[in-house]
Amino acid sequence: RIMPVRWSRYNPSYLEPEVKKESYQKPLEKLTDEEREQKELKAVRPIKAAPPTLSSSVFSDPLISKFTNMMMKSGNKVLARSLMSQTLEAIKRKQLEKYHKAPENEKETIECNPYVIFHQALKNCQPIIGLSNITKGGKTYQVPVPLTDNRKRFLAMKWLITECRENKHRRTMMAEKLSQELLLAFNNEGPVIKKKHVLHKMAEANRAYAHFRWW
Amino acid sequence: TLRLICTTAAVQRKNVGASGPEKYTEAFIKKQIEEFNLGKRHLANMMGEDPETFTQEDIDRAIAYLFPSGLFDKQARPMMKHPTEVFPEQRKIQWGEDGRPFHFLFYTGKQSYYSLMHETYEKFLNVQKHQDQLTAQDLPLQKEKRNLAGSRWLTKIELEEMLLEKLSDDDYSRFIQLLEKLVALPYADMEENYIQKFSKEVPVQLQKVVIEPLQYDEQGVAFSTGEGKRKTARATAVVYDNGTGKITVNGTDILHYFPVLQDREQLLFPFQFLGRIGKHDMVCTVSGGGRSAQAGAIRLASAKALRSFVTEQEVEFMRQAGLLTVDPRVKERKKPGQEGPRRKFTWKKR
Repeated sequence: RIMPVRWSRYNPSYLEPEVKKESYQKPLEKLTDEEREQKELKAVRPIKAAPPTLSSSVFSDPLISKFTNMMMKSGNKVLARSLMSQTLEAIKRKQLEKYHKAPENEKETIECNPYVIFHQALKNCQPIIGLSNITKGGKTYQVPVPLTDNRKRFLAMKWLITECRENKHRRTMMAEKLSQELLLAFNNEGPVIKKKHVLHKMAEANRAYAHFRWW
Repeated sequence: TLRLICTTAAVQRKNVGASGPEKYTEAFIKKQIEEFNLGKRHLANMMGEDPETFTQEDIDRAIAYLFPSGLFDKQARPMMKHPTEVFPEQRKIQWGEDGRPFHFLFYTGKQSYYSLMHETYEKFLNVQKHQDQLTAQDLPLQKEKRNLAGSRWLTKIELEEMLLEKLSDDDYSRFIQLLEKLVALPYADMEENYIQKFSKEVPVQLQKVVIEPLQYDEQGVAFSTGEGKRKTARATAVVYDNGTGKITVNGTDILHYFPVLQDREQLLFPFQFLGRIGKHDMVCTVSGGGRSAQAGAIRLASAKALRSFVTEQEVEFMRQAGLLTVDPRVKERKKPGQEGPRRKFTWKKR
């Protein structure tokens, strides 16, 4: 359903652009019904312009762009992007070191692709259940509440960034610290994973108040 | 309330008809119509034309001739129109002489809206019953796709005009949701007549853009030009065939003009999408805007230029990837009484 969006310069009937090349090379038979409908709709409706962060190259990843935007301060995208690339480079270097030092049989288990490590680390940091403040009878209770996918991703990225900004030594670079945190999160260790477990325990402890939720 | 930024003035017209009960009685309107017709015949006689075949355009021309006015606003000038255009359609009095209302839903306040919802839901239940009967007899469900492409639902203002009643955004969205549910059922074709009352044809606005043919310069190399803009930046790009993939901006190489990786990625985006990275040369000029705006403008210009080199299907793919639309986002203006476009002044308690 089309709802007019308050702050969009586009007409509500404009659709989001699809940038990936592979989706245009799929033959007709393999599409499901929904995809066919979407395709027909796209053929008639106007489409928004692709934003400058989105590109069809192999190197552009929506998750990475979202993370870069969250790391950005005062609109300094150049700095945020360079930090991100330095982080990925640092991860690659560390993993290669480990790879070359490891014995033959373990060489296959070591993951060297920094994008895979980033995605997996973020997935490991995502909480499953969240807490929300509900005021009932004058007192505010912390009620366990299910989270949407977007919210989970946002919380994981936010925790990672705040963790790196606050708990690092004055002399360590942000890229260095971020790469350390990501590698720890990849192996399910580290302060961010601990924070996630603490949240889960709190939710488990407050199970009694779960019925306060009305949505 | 939501203010639509990007729609035409026609859509935001105020619906005067639903503002209140009748201000003009029926007898008054009838008299106005008679007077109008008489006046039309007099005017035709005055202008020396046949009263029977005197159209509205003739009336407008005659009035403009007899009462010339230099006023700027067209609606302030003297005009003679049929009373139904001048006096908007309004609801008649909803109750009889004894004070008892005619409609059973009068006391809900929005009688026509609620009666419409009831009717639509009744149709929905009918279709469901029909469907259940057919499944009970084990007949297969036919799924006929409705043509999504050429139709749209009535806007809130049009619906208000139809019902002669003020609606809220919530009411409107509920009604549209119910209509969509009805349309989604397999046997909704039974109620096709009813549904057509609420849907309008949209002229398929593909606006067949004329793709310019390739031009050839002195050495016989094919080239084509394109123009693009983004925020305040304006760019023109000339894409040559049989090239090595060199891109020149304002006389300098892109590596020197755009030190940031993101801008260079944007320049290469159309070529990478079509898979023609090493095959074309580009020379562009750009002015205005900032670093990212210039990159966006050149991207649009190069995508437009590449249309001439490529098949129609690929042009359609480029459009669906968002390469050929002009980005309408510009800097929002600062408003009086606020510090910026959205930021308000610091609130001080005293």
